Amino acid sequence: MSREDLAAAQGELLRALLAGGSAPSGFDPDALRVEATSLLAKRRRIVSQLDPDTAENLGERFTELFAEYAIVNPRQAGSRFRDDAAAFAEWAVEHGHMTPPRPERRWWRRKG
Amino acid sequence: MGEHLGVGIGWRLEIDLTVERMQGVDFVEVVAENVHRDHLPESLRVLRERGLPVLPHAVSLSLGGAEPLDTARVEHLGAVGELLDAPLVSDHVCFVRAGGLDSGHLMPVPRTRAALDVLVANVNQARSILGRPLALENIAALLRWPDAELTEAQFLTELVERTDCLLLLDVANMWANALNLGEDPVDLLDGLPLERLAYVHVAGGVEIDGVYHDTHAHAVPQGVLDLLAQLCERVRPPGVLLERDDRYPSDAVLADELAAIRAVVAG
Repeated sequence: MSREDLAAAQGELLRALLAGGSAPSGFDPDALRVEATSLLAKRRRIVSQLDPDTAENLGERFTELFAEYAIVNPRQAGSRFRDDAAAFAEWAVEHGHMTPPRPERRWWRRKG
Repeated sequence: MGEHLGVGIGWRLEIDLTVERMQGVDFVEVVAENVHRDHLPESLRVLRERGLPVLPHAVSLSLGGAEPLDTARVEHLGAVGELLDAPLVSDHVCFVRAGGLDSGHLMPVPRTRAALDVLVANVNQARSILGRPLALENIAALLRWPDAELTEAQFLTELVERTDCLLLLDVANMWANALNLGEDPVDLLDGLPLERLAYVHVAGGVEIDGVYHDTHAHAVPQGVLDLLAQLCERVRPPGVLLERDDRYPSDAVLADELAAIRAVVAG
């Protein structure tokens, strides 16, 4: 196996786990499911910590909607979790799951 | 063997004051990606001023990844090591990036000769940039690659010997792999070059639907402390560090966990 073959195999595994790709051969399907669920849960937890307002806003639907978002928006190499949290909030608005948050009111804004 | 460190705890922003005040903390570890390369959080500056070793621990080098090494991340780790005057730095035997995606968590590599060669090449390249000792940590995996050619002990041993690295042995990860993958932790302890041990990680986790998750957010199970005891029967570890990353308990509970670790190490 060359470095290139290994890179392809690693890419195939991540696509299966993160982006709904087909299961690579030789892996235990149950283990793939458990790993995919675990990675999704970690990602969801981090996003909810970075943007608790969106999580709260979506309430009980947060888990389900995040899963829907995540599989079509797997995290790109080099991206940050903050980008992920912002992209999810945007996705939720675009898909009509929440209204855009009101622009932040500044306590120092002058009246009138 | 690495230099003496004692008993430590993972420094996190959320518990910085707890860690500063806690009795019997001999060293700490900080996630390298969470600090700037040119200035330290005040709490770490205080700890360094007291002379406590602060060891940068990286999670994003993807040393087991088959794509070219991201040298900017290695340089960051080296710069943080320099800023902290750390006796060593560390990352994991894993990959996190492939095919343009980021897993967000540590993924196992195949235990094959080809994967080992890639790791060795990446680690050697990283070491040439870092300029200080590098320790490599065994991970907890939820799945295994097909067609393994080496046992975990053989794989890790050859890796650290070919690259002249130290071992950061995580007994909680060994415990997780025993429960989830049926690995034999005693085989691993017996097969590793323990003279290369830098320090040990201990952490808690939780079992959900028959799967043990190494969460670093729950109490340390007795099984993990038992594994630490089995390690201590073979070698006196230079350091043992508790990792707690979420759902922080009271200071007293953390202190009790450190005391339990200290008791095991003291035998």
